[in-house]
Amino acid sequence: MSTTPKNTTTAAATDTVSERPPVFSVDGLWKVFGPKAARVPADPDLTALSPAELRSRTGCTAAVADVSFDVRKGEVFVVMGLSGSGKSTLVRCLTRLIEPTAGSIAIDGEDVRAMDKSRLRELRRHRAAMVFQHFGLLPHRTVLDNVAYGLEVQGLGRAERRERAAAIVAKVGLEGLEQRRPGQLSGGQRQRVGLARALAVDPEVLLFDEPFSALDPLIRRDMQEEVVRLHREEGRTMVFITHDLQEALKLGDRIALMRDGRVVQLGTPEEIVGSPADDYVREFVRDVPREQVLTVRTAMRPATSADEAGTGPAIRPEATVSEAIEAVARAGSAARVMDEGRCLGVVDASDLLSVVAGTADAPAAADGAAAAAAAGSRAAGAARVGDGGPPARAKPSVGEAPAQRRKPTTPAEPTTEEPA
Amino acid sequence: MATITAPTSQKAAPPGILTHPATRKLLALAALAAVLVPLAVTQWGGATWPSALTVDVSEPLGKASDWIIDNRDSHPLFLYFFGHVSNVVVIAVRAVYLALLAVGWAGVSAIGALVAWRVAGVRLALGTAAAFLACGLLGMWVPTMQTLALMVVAVLASVVVGALLGLAAGLSDRMDRVLRPVLDTMQVLPAFAYLLPVVLVFGIGVPAAVLATVVYAAPPMARLTSLGLRGADKEVLEAVESLGTTARQRLLTARIPLARKELLLGVNQTIMMALSMAVIASVIGAGGLGDRVYQALASVDVGAALAAGIPIVLLAVVLDRVTGAAGERLGESGRSPVTWLYALVVAAAVALAGRLAGFLDWPDGWEVDIAEPVNRAVDWMTAHLYSGVPVVGGTADWAGHFTSWVLNPLRDGLQWLPWWSVLLIVAALAWLIGTWRTALTAVLAMAAIGVLGVWDPSLDTLSQVLAAVAVTLVVGFATGIAAARSDRFERLLRPVLDVFQTMPQFVYLIPVVALFGVGRAPAVAAAVVYALPAVVRITAQGLRQVDPAALESARSLGATSGQQLRQVQLPLARPALLLAVNQGVVLVLAVVIIGGLVGGGALGYQVVFGLAQGDLATGLVAGAAIVCLGLMLDRVTQPTERRAKKGA
Repeated sequence: MSTTPKNTTTAAATDTVSERPPVFSVDGLWKVFGPKAARVPADPDLTALSPAELRSRTGCTAAVADVSFDVRKGEVFVVMGLSGSGKSTLVRCLTRLIEPTAGSIAIDGEDVRAMDKSRLRELRRHRAAMVFQHFGLLPHRTVLDNVAYGLEVQGLGRAERRERAAAIVAKVGLEGLEQRRPGQLSGGQRQRVGLARALAVDPEVLLFDEPFSALDPLIRRDMQEEVVRLHREEGRTMVFITHDLQEALKLGDRIALMRDGRVVQLGTPEEIVGSPADDYVREFVRDVPREQVLTVRTAMRPATSADEAGTGPAIRPEATVSEAIEAVARAGSAARVMDEGRCLGVVDASDLLSVVAGTADAPAAADGAAAAAAAGSRAAGAARVGDGGPPARAKPSVGEAPAQRRKPTTPAEPTTEEPA
Repeated sequence: MATITAPTSQKAAPPGILTHPATRKLLALAALAAVLVPLAVTQWGGATWPSALTVDVSEPLGKASDWIIDNRDSHPLFLYFFGHVSNVVVIAVRAVYLALLAVGWAGVSAIGALVAWRVAGVRLALGTAAAFLACGLLGMWVPTMQTLALMVVAVLASVVVGALLGLAAGLSDRMDRVLRPVLDTMQVLPAFAYLLPVVLVFGIGVPAAVLATVVYAAPPMARLTSLGLRGADKEVLEAVESLGTTARQRLLTARIPLARKELLLGVNQTIMMALSMAVIASVIGAGGLGDRVYQALASVDVGAALAAGIPIVLLAVVLDRVTGAAGERLGESGRSPVTWLYALVVAAAVALAGRLAGFLDWPDGWEVDIAEPVNRAVDWMTAHLYSGVPVVGGTADWAGHFTSWVLNPLRDGLQWLPWWSVLLIVAALAWLIGTWRTALTAVLAMAAIGVLGVWDPSLDTLSQVLAAVAVTLVVGFATGIAAARSDRFERLLRPVLDVFQTMPQFVYLIPVVALFGVGRAPAVAAAVVYALPAVVRITAQGLRQVDPAALESARSLGATSGQQLRQVQLPLARPALLLAVNQGVVLVLAVVIIGGLVGGGALGYQVVFGLAQGDLATGLVAGAAIVCLGLMLDRVTQPTERRAKKGA
């Protein structure tokens, strides 16, 4: 697997997320806790063991085991798993807050593991900023000074950093609270401060470590919408850790599902829900309302007659099944899936019902993307190389193509200075 | 019922007893004893520590002290190191003292009140001013300033030394591993043990007093600094690191500010410890208030002792409340430098006005002599309350009875026990409550006492400690349980406990001498009074912090309040109760030793005697024995968690 940057010309030419250059490129990453941890990834006998066997044999725990993926520019990459699956360790390895045991990490093609201290500080100061589950705010500072902290660390003067911080504070909706201290804020407000602090340094990538898990459900929804809004406005690359499947499906362009330190499936929300890679994933996504995740592209069948291909309401291939249900119910007939004036196929009531019931075929039939999602982290690696690419999601954020505005290697051009 | 329960209990009981960890520990110990005891008995029989196993250290110690006295003015070590230290301390204390006198009583009171006002609010400002004026009224202005001058220097030095050590321990794991056991041990040693080594090097005088105070007062600062640095919210530190901070930036902008609560608590603790020690250090030439108390106690002049004791208590309460309030007010905004400047100007103006008006020395006419009326009251008490009061008997009778019915049998019993059985008991207790490690330390400490040749006086001290601890625990647990069960009682008790916990050990001797005269019983009484507040407080807190869900479920099952207490609260509060025992023992020992000043005899007396006679060897041996005794008592009562778990 290469860690070199992908060909940028193709990225400029075609603007699907799948073909943009990777921001983070992770390959064969291991983080093993325990005595003599380095021997575990190196020994094929040990890497094949289950977590329990590994622990009893060596006393080591593999928090992250042989994980490979690319985070592409402008996408929201969600790492999801239950507690103890290694997702938080994984995101900390990206900026070496936790030192990885083996494997490679590259940011814009630059080897993160080879960085020296000052280069690493540079990475943390300017290129990747993190939002934490319990906010990690400094209780003795005001909101404004907390937001400005990252700039202070960079050595900016007081007046300038306060001015920039004030703009960010306004952007995340905290006007008027600048002089409060974190202890005087609600949980949602505190996380807005955490978010503002990360945004203030205008990083290339935002890392979120279960940022909303500690919040009440309603506030959590607000914050999720805030993140969607920010992503839509700025198109910033995000790596988002969560244990909440709904959150993952709502925010993620692609989702890596982790279990026991390994990625068990990597794909779009539609792939994860539509064609689970194994029983674990199937069990995981069982209660997801499939009609809200799967698109008509997976549900459609070829038109059987010219009559079918010529009449009926037209819907986009990216429309969800529930949207199609509404359209079909209104028209009382099958709907046509239209893409740029071309009829790709049709869906009728029974097609849609079978999706809801979970009896439909895997979407693999539709475009073959599920091959990538077939099994394990090796497959994840395969997906990274690209195999025709998973379908772009029906998200306006993707369609806005922020990559055109942002050069791949210079994060400096601050979108944050635009008026919110 | 019986038929159902009988078989299960039969089935469960035998393995239950055999596999119970306590039984296994005792069995192992019994096996060890079966081998070692016959050997020891045949070799060195008798009740007291065998003379064959003692090492006479007094001769080499005497020689060492003679050498130091001879060479104090000529040896380079003294000339170029200790001499300078000593000079700096003397000059610093002198400078602060003169500065305080130059500001005058009006100025000092005004500055104190203004600082208290800015830091802690109006009420404490008034209290501070009143306390200073009371010191003057009692005719103790100059001694108060002497003590204050010594305190200022000692506290500054302690805070700096403690903070530096704490910083090292907080940042480096290795340093922490080295320092922690030392600091933990220093925490439990009686103040008296620190006096002699310092005197050995510096001789009796102000430098020795200041350094003893620093040695005694710096550990809490170091511990709390390290604790604060280590206890910082991990995620905050991670967040700070994720922003690309350098180690220096992390320390200055995050770790130290995050630890400021602990740092201020450390300053508070250091001040309280320093005051306590500065008063005790009068024994080695500290001068000031403690010296007045010491001199007065030596001639059983309770009135004079009280006149000097009240300023000590006032100083303690004011210092504690003001620094404590500073800690609680942290994080509140609105402390602007402008108001500080304003306060400073006002203070300077008051000081200047006082100076111009001639209010420098406290006017003689304003002094109130309380010594004489107090002594008259004490004389009356001696005449009427000491003995012969119908039915209840007098206080001296109580003391006498306590001595002859409790202390003497206990002491004689301990001294009658064969020495190896004492070691065995220590080992068993320490092992049952702690681990084999603590047991080993305890046994070694106890054996060291024997080796030093002070077995009998140590057992005398031990008997006083045991009697005092027993009384303390009975009264303390009863009061603590009552306080935990009744909110009203706790509200009444709280201010009393607050004041009692801030008072230096030394002042407890004054009322007991007034009530009971001199002897071992008053020493025990002082120790009980000193240790009670801590025991009551820890017990009440432990009981109140019992998981409410467990209590609720017990109530929902229909448990009576007695059942709730016995079956839920007490078992769940076990850690707190063990801590109360441990604290009780440590505090009691500290005062029982000081009781040597009022006729407590034993080790404490030997230290005092050594100091008074210039016989440092005797004093040092007794001091070492105190250290060993403190170590042993602490380890025996220390419920340590298994360290192995943490290490693995």
